[in-house]
Amino acid sequence: MSGKACVVGIGETAYTKRGAATEREYVLACRAILAALSDAGIAPAEVDGLAPFADERSSPWTLASDLGLSELRFAATTAMPGGGGACGAMLEAALAVESGQAEVVVVYRSLCQGQFARIGRTVTTGGDASPTVAETGLEADALQGFTAPFGILGPSVMFALPMRRHMEVYGTTSEQLGHVAVTQRAHASRNPRAVMGSRPLTLGDHQGARMVADPYRLFDCCLETDGACAVVVTTAERAADARGRPVAVLAAAEGTDGAQLGGAAANAGATAASYARGGGAGVARRLFGRAGVSPGDVDVAQLYDNFSGQVLLGLEDFGFCAPGEAGPMAQSGALAWPHGSLPTNTAGGNLSEAYMQGLNHVIEGVRQMRGESTSQVADARLCLVTSSPGIPTSAILLARS
Amino acid sequence: MTERWFPDAMPSPAVTDDTRPFFDAALEHRLVIQRCASCGTHRHPPRPLCPYCHSFAAAWTEVPGTGTLFTYSVVHQPLLPALVDVVPYVVAVIELDGTGGTRLSSNLVDAPLDSLGAGLSVEVTWEDMSPSLTLPRFRLHPQA
Repeated sequence: MSGKACVVGIGETAYTKRGAATEREYVLACRAILAALSDAGIAPAEVDGLAPFADERSSPWTLASDLGLSELRFAATTAMPGGGGACGAMLEAALAVESGQAEVVVVYRSLCQGQFARIGRTVTTGGDASPTVAETGLEADALQGFTAPFGILGPSVMFALPMRRHMEVYGTTSEQLGHVAVTQRAHASRNPRAVMGSRPLTLGDHQGARMVADPYRLFDCCLETDGACAVVVTTAERAADARGRPVAVLAAAEGTDGAQLGGAAANAGATAASYARGGGAGVARRLFGRAGVSPGDVDVAQLYDNFSGQVLLGLEDFGFCAPGEAGPMAQSGALAWPHGSLPTNTAGGNLSEAYMQGLNHVIEGVRQMRGESTSQVADARLCLVTSSPGIPTSAILLARS
Repeated sequence: MTERWFPDAMPSPAVTDDTRPFFDAALEHRLVIQRCASCGTHRHPPRPLCPYCHSFAAAWTEVPGTGTLFTYSVVHQPLLPALVDVVPYVVAVIELDGTGGTRLSSNLVDAPLDSLGAGLSVEVTWEDMSPSLTLPRFRLHPQA
C-alpha cells in the first residue's frame, strides 16, 4: 500500500429535502460520526482528531466533548472554501495521521439548510427595502460590492458566467449539460440514499425545465438538502486491524492556479484564457504526480457538481480531455455506468443524491474502492474525487487495497 | 434622474477606501478604472495593492465606457423579493476598451435576449439608484 493514510469508516444520516430533517443539524453530525465509527469498528473515545470544512457549524470542540473523546490532539479546517474543501479536509486528516499528530481523524459535514439559511446567497444588512452588502470589513465582502448590486446574488449566476463563456468559446451546448444531469439521475435511481432516486429524468425533461440563470436550467443545479456524513481516516498500521476493507488515500492536493481567487464573477485574477477553466489544473498535476499515476489510470470519478457544467470543467482540469472537449465527452456517454469509459458521480452526486458539499463524493469513492457501490464499476482500483471548480479547490485519489 | 432598470431595493455596495473613487466617479457618470501608480497595470475590482509590483499607490484611468461582451447570464430566478418583477435580467461581463483587457461585471439593459453573444459591442449607460449611488450599466452600441 503506497498511501499511508487509509479510510476505514463511512457514515451518513438519511438525506432529505431541505427542511425535512426531523433532528437538528448538530444532532445529525453526531449520528453520522457515530455511524462512521461503527462502520470502522473504532470506539468514539479513540478518536483524537476532527477535520470539518466549509462553514461547518458543528464545532469540533462540542463534538469532542459530546462524543466522549478521551483526548483531542488535532483539529483543523482547510482554507479551501465551501465546496472546494471536502477533499482538503481529507488532506488535513491524511497529513495528521501520516505525521503522527493524530491516529484517528474524523472528517465530517453536517448541513441542514432547512434549520439554517439557504446556502450561498449574498448576505445583506438593512432589510429587504434597503439592503446593503454586509459591511464585515472582509475583503471578500468588499468584492461583493461589484457583484451584488448587479444582481449576481447567488451561486447560480456566479457559476453560470464562466460556463456561458465556455459555451461561447468551445461551442458547448445545453444538451451536453443535460447529459451530465440525466446520467447522474440514472446513477441515483439505483442508490437508495439518493433524494431524487425515485424521480426519473430524461433529456426532454431537462430541456423543458425552467431556466434559473442561463445556461443553467433547474436540473443543472444541485439539490438543497438536509443531512450529515462522516469519514474515518487512520494510519495504514491501524487500518490493518479495521473491521472492513481499508481504502488508501493514495494522494491529496489542494490550491488554485490564481485564476479563481476572489471569484470569477468579481473578475479578480482570472485572465481571458483562464476564465472558462476550473482553476484546478495545478491541483491535478500535483495530485497525479504524488501518486505516480495518470488520468488514464483512473477507473471511476466523483467530480464536484454544484452545477452540471462544473463536471465538464473537472474533466478538463484533471486531463480526461482537452479544454473544450468535455461537452462532447459527456454527450458520448463516457460518464455513464456501466459502459462509459469514466463512470462519474456514480451515487448521483450533488445533483441527484444530496448536497453534502462533496463529502458524499468522498464516501461514494470509498464505496467504489470497497466494491460496495450501487453502480459498482467492475474491478475498479483507482477513484478520483474532486472538490469544486471555480474556487480554491482540492482533490484526492482513493485506491483499492 | 436617469432611466431606471433595477429597483431601489437592490443591494448597495459596502464602500471601502479602495473602492470609493470608483463610486464617487460614478456619481458624476464617469467610469474610472484603478491602475497601479507605479507600473501602470489596470485592475478591477479596486484592490489595496498591485499584485505585479506590490505598490500600494493607486491612480485612476477615466475610460470611454465602450467595450465588448465577454460573457453573460440571463437570470430568470429572482433571488431577492425586489427582483420578482425585474426578471429576466442580463448579468454581463464587459471587457473594457482602453484598460488592457480589464473586465467588469454589470448588466446589459434594453437588449434583445435572443441574440446575445460574446463579442458584441457595448457602451456604458448610467443608473442613478439614489442620491448617493449611481451604477454603470451597459447597452448594445448603436453602431453594433
